[in-house]
Amino acid sequence: MTEFDPCLTAIIANRIESIIREMTQTLMRATRSTVINSARDFSCSICTADDQLLMASDGLPIHLFGSHLQTRTMTEFHAGDIAEGDCYLHNDPYNGNTHAADHSFLVPVFFEGEHLFTAVAKAHQADIGNAEPTNYMAGAADIYEEGALIFPAVRVQRNYRTQEDIVRMCRARIRVPDQWYGDFLAAISSARSGERRLKELCARYGLTTIKAFSRAWLDYSERRMEQVIRGLPAAILRNSGTHDPFGTLLPKGIPLTVGIDIDPEAARITLDLTDNIDNVNCGFNASEATATSAVLTGVFNSIDSTVPRNSGAFRRITVLLREGSVAGKPAFPHSCSVATTNVADRLVNIVQSAFAGIGDGWGLAEGGVGQGAGLAVVSGTDPRAKGRPYVNQMFTAGAGGPGCATADGWPTYTLPVVAGLPLRDAVEVDELKYPIAFRSLRILPGTGGAGRFRGAPAIEVAYGPREISFEAHWPCDGTYYPANGVRGGQNGLRARHFRVKEGGERDELPNIVSIRLQPGEYVIGSHASGGGYGNPLERDPARVLHDVLEGYEDAGRAHDVYGVVLTGSVHDGDLAIDLQRTDELRERHAGGSGAAGPDQDGSVPQDVLRSI
Amino acid sequence: MTFKISVDAGSRFTDVIISNFGGKARIGKTITNDANPFAAVCAALDEVGAQIGIPKTELLRNCDYFIYGTSYAHDAIVSRSVAKTAFVTTEGFPDILLLREGGKSGPFDFSQDFPDPFIPRRHTFEIGGRISAEGDELYPFDGFGARALARTLRDREYEAVAICLLWSVADPSHELRFAEILKELAPDLPFTLSHQLLPIVREYRRASATALDASLKPLMRRHLVGLEEELRAVGFAGQFLVNSAAGGCLPAQAAIEKPIYTVRSGPAMAPIAGRIFSQMEGMGSDIIVCDLGGTSLDVGLVKGGRITVSRDVWVGPPHTGDLLGISAVDVRSVGAGTGAIAWVDDGGLLRIGPQSAGSDPGPACYGHGGDAPTVFDAAAMLGYVPADDFLGGKMALDLDAAHRAIGTLATRLGVEVHDAARNIMMLASNQMACAIHDVAISQGMDPRESTIVGGGAIGLHIMDIAEELGCSRVIMPRAASVLSAAGMQYADIVVEEAASLLMRTDSFDLRAANNLLADLHHRLSVFAAGLTGYDLSEASIEYMVEARYAGQIWELETSLPHVPLDDESSIAALVASFHAAHQRAFAMQDEGSAVEVVNWKARLVVPLGNGINPPTAVEPRRDPASPLSRSCHFGSKAVAAIVYGTGDLVPGLVLRGPAIVEEPAMTILVPPDMSVTVSEAGNFLLSPVG
Repeated sequence: MTEFDPCLTAIIANRIESIIREMTQTLMRATRSTVINSARDFSCSICTADDQLLMASDGLPIHLFGSHLQTRTMTEFHAGDIAEGDCYLHNDPYNGNTHAADHSFLVPVFFEGEHLFTAVAKAHQADIGNAEPTNYMAGAADIYEEGALIFPAVRVQRNYRTQEDIVRMCRARIRVPDQWYGDFLAAISSARSGERRLKELCARYGLTTIKAFSRAWLDYSERRMEQVIRGLPAAILRNSGTHDPFGTLLPKGIPLTVGIDIDPEAARITLDLTDNIDNVNCGFNASEATATSAVLTGVFNSIDSTVPRNSGAFRRITVLLREGSVAGKPAFPHSCSVATTNVADRLVNIVQSAFAGIGDGWGLAEGGVGQGAGLAVVSGTDPRAKGRPYVNQMFTAGAGGPGCATADGWPTYTLPVVAGLPLRDAVEVDELKYPIAFRSLRILPGTGGAGRFRGAPAIEVAYGPREISFEAHWPCDGTYYPANGVRGGQNGLRARHFRVKEGGERDELPNIVSIRLQPGEYVIGSHASGGGYGNPLERDPARVLHDVLEGYEDAGRAHDVYGVVLTGSVHDGDLAIDLQRTDELRERHAGGSGAAGPDQDGSVPQDVLRSI
Repeated sequence: MTFKISVDAGSRFTDVIISNFGGKARIGKTITNDANPFAAVCAALDEVGAQIGIPKTELLRNCDYFIYGTSYAHDAIVSRSVAKTAFVTTEGFPDILLLREGGKSGPFDFSQDFPDPFIPRRHTFEIGGRISAEGDELYPFDGFGARALARTLRDREYEAVAICLLWSVADPSHELRFAEILKELAPDLPFTLSHQLLPIVREYRRASATALDASLKPLMRRHLVGLEEELRAVGFAGQFLVNSAAGGCLPAQAAIEKPIYTVRSGPAMAPIAGRIFSQMEGMGSDIIVCDLGGTSLDVGLVKGGRITVSRDVWVGPPHTGDLLGISAVDVRSVGAGTGAIAWVDDGGLLRIGPQSAGSDPGPACYGHGGDAPTVFDAAAMLGYVPADDFLGGKMALDLDAAHRAIGTLATRLGVEVHDAARNIMMLASNQMACAIHDVAISQGMDPRESTIVGGGAIGLHIMDIAEELGCSRVIMPRAASVLSAAGMQYADIVVEEAASLLMRTDSFDLRAANNLLADLHHRLSVFAAGLTGYDLSEASIEYMVEARYAGQIWELETSLPHVPLDDESSIAALVASFHAAHQRAFAMQDEGSAVEVVNWKARLVVPLGNGINPPTAVEPRRDPASPLSRSCHFGSKAVAAIVYGTGDLVPGLVLRGPAIVEEPAMTILVPPDMSVTVSEAGNFLLSPVG
């Protein structure tokens, strides 16, 4: 393949995509923890030997960028000593990993004696030996207090044989070691399946063609990105947001700012994160990988979703990071324990909502943020299984998705950094696995950020212990600062959580929660909802009618917020739009001060949260 | 002479095969242009009857088994033209059908709305009462509220009710009490109880299956009862059977009672056909069946002689469609097909699909106004299909139109037009091969050690696909164009019962397990006792469990070798059987881990008699004066490919490429370094020359 071959390039790309899907299947189905096979908190990718990201699975957006930084650590630290049969464990957030809880396994792939590719399988672990039974150590002052074992590209296999002393180290420190070991095996077999298939691919097409392909594929991806940027209006944007306050550690929260320079002529986008505060003394610092992934995600969410996401496309985007910044390259030993979600979620929102500023039809509203009660890490012992200990993150419900230029937000969105990808736990499965009982899990009507395309509504979740107490941890955001609407769309609602005591008395919980619930008590909360896109008065009345029929909105909000007059009733089956009066009402709204805003403080009123 | 008739009634074509015991089989394919099922069946029978000179009434009067498959239920779900159905669930959990199990394909694509739940939220009702995971009653059943609800459902003229309460699989009493109230207050209202239809843990799966089943009850009853009455009226006196998604067929009454089993039951027949043809040719029991239509490629698997089943079969796209939930033959539909459009993206890469020209306007060469180059246009331009004699002369192809459409693309690619067409064919085959590979791998099957059985239009690609997959055993059956109807000819009656009970092999309760298995046996025995007029001497019951290593989330099905379980050794056999299944699926096993059984299944199989000859095709209709070779492009130069019609194809004949096999509804392309052998049974066995 001497010059770009449009057919052969497509064929080899399809085959590599298929190899990555096989890696994905292998990991997902052999793993032990729900976080991986159900919540999809993993990714598989293939990098070139010169540390460029060639192709990655359609995994979580927060894993988008960084596996090539990790292979660079491997090639630097082990220069001259990388051999066929090696496998490296990398979870070092100061050297390219997302955060310590993501164990990445790097397998160098050799063909005819030459290191050609590195197959990477990265998976979030249920536990990594932190000081507390959670992988989200929000309060950790530094990496020492966080307590994770750190592996900066440590060789765990040579000659296809495992270095058992490292396994023993992990087993001696990680809670539920069998589960970790099962995932260790699963991730290595995933990377090894990639290795096997890549070697077959090389054997079929030959070294020269494969090397030429790698160059051609990255160049092609760059061209795709170039075309996209050339189609954007020139703009210099600056957008800000704030992560919630966190007790006395962060009384004002974390202010965040991104400068965006879209230069269609040069076909380049610059994302400037340098104007952000220094690292904070808790676990919220982003890592280089997550800060970059998050702002890139904001861009990729806003453009043609078929553009390949690899180092070729990344050449057209410059990301400026500052050493020692909360949204930059973290300075050791600041903790990045929560690097994959909170600050990163805000960064995704800041960028995608900034894109909405370039004109109608562009960008997205902000998506709901905050890992609330539906995403808690629960731990305790199970009296039904002779007191066996458990610790795991539940995935029952999350925050609502953003309104977009052509569609409403998705209720299964969960968080900006995961974008609806995770599978949800069945309530029955969680009740089987943990000695807890759910009381409710439902959509709350009238809670999505209103807009021409509205945000997804908030989800309520309530649960408590059966016979024995348990601990629940969640590092929520979105309790103070909601997801913003764009282009006249309204903000989403904030998250809210309560502890309900045995007598029914309710105590509101802070955003970062670490509690032990006793039998008779339960927690009830609502996750944040998504922001709206565009003026709600421009929403297609047929969509408003459907929302009222289906209970996403009520007739009151249809009238007050959307300016739609309905006649008849849902129960009688004759609910209909009165078009003339709708036109009149919308004119009045538009002439006046606009539609009524969301309820006063932008959060779900306590009495809306029911429970049975 | 008695006949066995199978009819596969799709929304576009109705396929029929008539076989008799000892004589030849006949194949018919007609365009479905009547909404009335009986009329569509009659049209198909008329066509085949004409071939053998037997009128349809005589065929039906002498028919022992009439096996019927229809896409009616599937189409009703997709178009939401099902009964007005209420969904009744546990108070506090109304959004089970809305939220599904989460998941999304394409994390960066925000352009589509979230899909509505199968049953609208306004038709969802909550009732008080709650069972725990252990079957304890956490809150009592709200009988007063239930009675009020039953009256509401009656008064608002619901046509069906789906009832799925949390943990009804641990204790069904609340579901049963609601059913009693419904029977009392709304005696004519059909309903489905989740613990009876699908007793498995995970509320969305159970709820989705229950909702689909209930919503189909009124219309499938009308459809099947109506058809049977009309068949009886013209003298049909045999057994009336209906395809089942479980991979067999059911007496019509059983299908009426659980109509969900008729959904996607047509594609479920293709692996049965694949298994038979592979057996017939002595090509082993690991089989990949690929059936290519105009817009999709259906891939099904047979592993070690067992048809692969799954609880993850969706109507519509995975995650956002509607989950069948029942253990159904796992046939995956991949977006591909002869109508897929080729294009060049703004990075200069050749792409095929996902856009399709469909059947209207169809490929450019159909001459119906389409001007986008499709895979079929490429095939026509390269000489792979007979331009002047397509569909047995029913349609002429406009090669100039194909040339123009592909010419535009060739200019964009900077290559000669035939090379562009060749590239389209290569890339299309590559995409199908990757899709087939993905499906096989996801079930732990290695395509290189499997046999491929092709159906539909895949003959144009199958050699390339086999080469790409490294697969050396390939069969194109004579009945490739009617693969599902062929599978129906060989289908057994298959009925499954299941129950949910969590049990670990390191704390096994033999008595509880045996009680449960005995109950499954009893339920199937009662069913078998109701099968009047069938030969039960060959009937068998097999047992399976769905199990996982402790702590895993998704289960694997593995067989339960010894039932009843007698002692430690039968538990050891279960553990060993699971380790082997895990090794096959994931190339690893964890000897140290306990095995957790989640669901228990029993399957009754009643064979419907053997000795059916393989179907053979109709006499050729080809114009004998037509040329026996045609100019085709395989590389950059045109070569003369010999064209073989049905009359030429005697058993034992070996055809070396370049060649083309043409039958009225099937084409097989044999590239230069490949060959085809006609088997004794009349099937085509493809292999590389060498």
